[in-house]
Amino acid sequence: MSQTDIFDRLKNYIASDVLEGNDVGLDASTALLDLGVLNSLEITKLVNFIEATFGVSIPLEAVLAENFKDLAAITDLIVTLERTIPGGS
Amino acid sequence: MISYAARTPMALAVQGPDDQLTYRELDRLANRIARALEARGVRKNHRVAIWLEKSTFTVATMQAVLRLGAAYIPIDPLSPTARVHGLLTDYAVSALVTTAGRVTAVLTGSLASVPSLVTGGPGDACDWPALRECSDADLPDPGSGAEDLAYILSTSGSMGRPKGVCLSHRNALSFTGWAAAELAVTSEDRLANHAPLHFDLSVFDLYAAFQAGATVLLIPETWSFAPLKLNDFLIRQRPTIWYSVPSALLLMIQDGGLLDLAEPSLRAVLFAGEPFPVAPLRALRTSWPEARFLNLYGPTETNVCTFHEVKEMAAGDTTPIPIGRACSGDRVWARTESGGLAQEGEEGELMVAGPTVMLGYWGDAPQGDEPYSTGDIVRVMDDDNFQFMGRRDHMVKVRGHRVELGEIEAVLQAHPAASETVVLVSGSGLGARLNAFVVCNLEERPSLLQIKQHCATRLPRYMIVDRVWYLSALPRTGNGKVDRTALALRLNETTDQET
Repeated sequence: MSQTDIFDRLKNYIASDVLEGNDVGLDASTALLDLGVLNSLEITKLVNFIEATFGVSIPLEAVLAENFKDLAAITDLIVTLERTIPGGS
Repeated sequence: MISYAARTPMALAVQGPDDQLTYRELDRLANRIARALEARGVRKNHRVAIWLEKSTFTVATMQAVLRLGAAYIPIDPLSPTARVHGLLTDYAVSALVTTAGRVTAVLTGSLASVPSLVTGGPGDACDWPALRECSDADLPDPGSGAEDLAYILSTSGSMGRPKGVCLSHRNALSFTGWAAAELAVTSEDRLANHAPLHFDLSVFDLYAAFQAGATVLLIPETWSFAPLKLNDFLIRQRPTIWYSVPSALLLMIQDGGLLDLAEPSLRAVLFAGEPFPVAPLRALRTSWPEARFLNLYGPTETNVCTFHEVKEMAAGDTTPIPIGRACSGDRVWARTESGGLAQEGEEGELMVAGPTVMLGYWGDAPQGDEPYSTGDIVRVMDDDNFQFMGRRDHMVKVRGHRVELGEIEAVLQAHPAASETVVLVSGSGLGARLNAFVVCNLEERPSLLQIKQHCATRLPRYMIVDRVWYLSALPRTGNGKVDRTALALRLNETTDQET
């Protein structure tokens, strides 16, 4: 999956599941943690969504604020994890 | 803690995401940090703010501040800068310990001259070289008295500003001493630290461990409500004592398979901050028959002042568990509306007097020997037990965090689009949500994200609203006051339809 596809699916998820379907003002650098868009509970749901959607497993060590601070960081995290899957593209 | 550094220097004192420290290492690091702070002008009776994620360094810094006879102020690591700026100004801190980026962001304007001690990840600018040059030898005893300020915890205030709860050495030790004795904490124990360090639950984990020469295991903030991570932590780290808000345990039961955990290492499970729903508690109690279960109760102003040990839980019994009877050397009673003493079966406001009652709010008159009125309505049960019934004001609990709805309303009111606002909580436990009802001045209504952005500049994350409902006018009662009950009913109907 391309980086843009990953980003778009993440953005759709956040807009529809957390922001009542309204993505006005939501972009790659929106501070999701600082704005309380992602709280600890929402991160858990998001991790489940990512693991189910992108087929990657997010290790404990990767659940860090810097990896979830905005859509760009989460996208990067997924791209990095996809690369580390044996046989992945 | 210092005595264990001499008696059991190699025993593990604290394990964190960054490192682990034995009692000797923690002692030495605390001495170095204390000297570095002293060099920055920190003296006895000063206040030092610590704005850091949980780590062994953070814990050592708390110890270091106390060693100078000063008081520490733990700040929520993800607090917005504007809020932190306000807190540092109000508390007139002598120094700030934080990361380089946060120093640049917050030590501006009137705070530009506040000294900082900077720590950070690899490659970040930090004061480690300076720290290494500081001596790690013992410092002279600062001669702190039991009544001296040890730390300040910031809680939500109804007037739109946080309140600083000032707690003394005696306040903390009266509670941790009681708890360590009740649980017979020994040097073999491993205490899980789930609560953030700016939250009063963490006082138990750290100080009960240090009083007994035990180990405290820090759980990173980002794992706080990640059930799989928390269950994994239980399996790998094998803590013997757990203390958290019930929400965390509920989540571990619902989404983490906590009930299936074979051979739990825990011998005691403590919870506080909100009611634990009976059914999941019974399930957990049944799964772990060997462990003790204690419901602890107390606002930040008194720390834990009552407790109830959960023993037999009859199947089908849905009675909420009581908050129990007095502990920590405190005296508690229920005061009726007419000011009398509530008798068995009657309700009243819970009052607390004794060694855990705070020194007072920062900037306000000292509490002195006055009992503290909790604002919590309780029913007097048999055997001096109390049952929590509700609040007498607009303070609510959201996943263990205390929230004054008025503080959020004051912030929302400052938004140019809002002419009137009311904030209410829907749901409870894990499902608790902050709902803002807003009467909008503008043609274009701000999106939820824009409202969150507005909140985030002034409020801690747990007080940012989850939903916004726009109304053309707020419902009013006959005498013109906002009809909060009508709004609550409307909210219940909507959320019922969704579930």
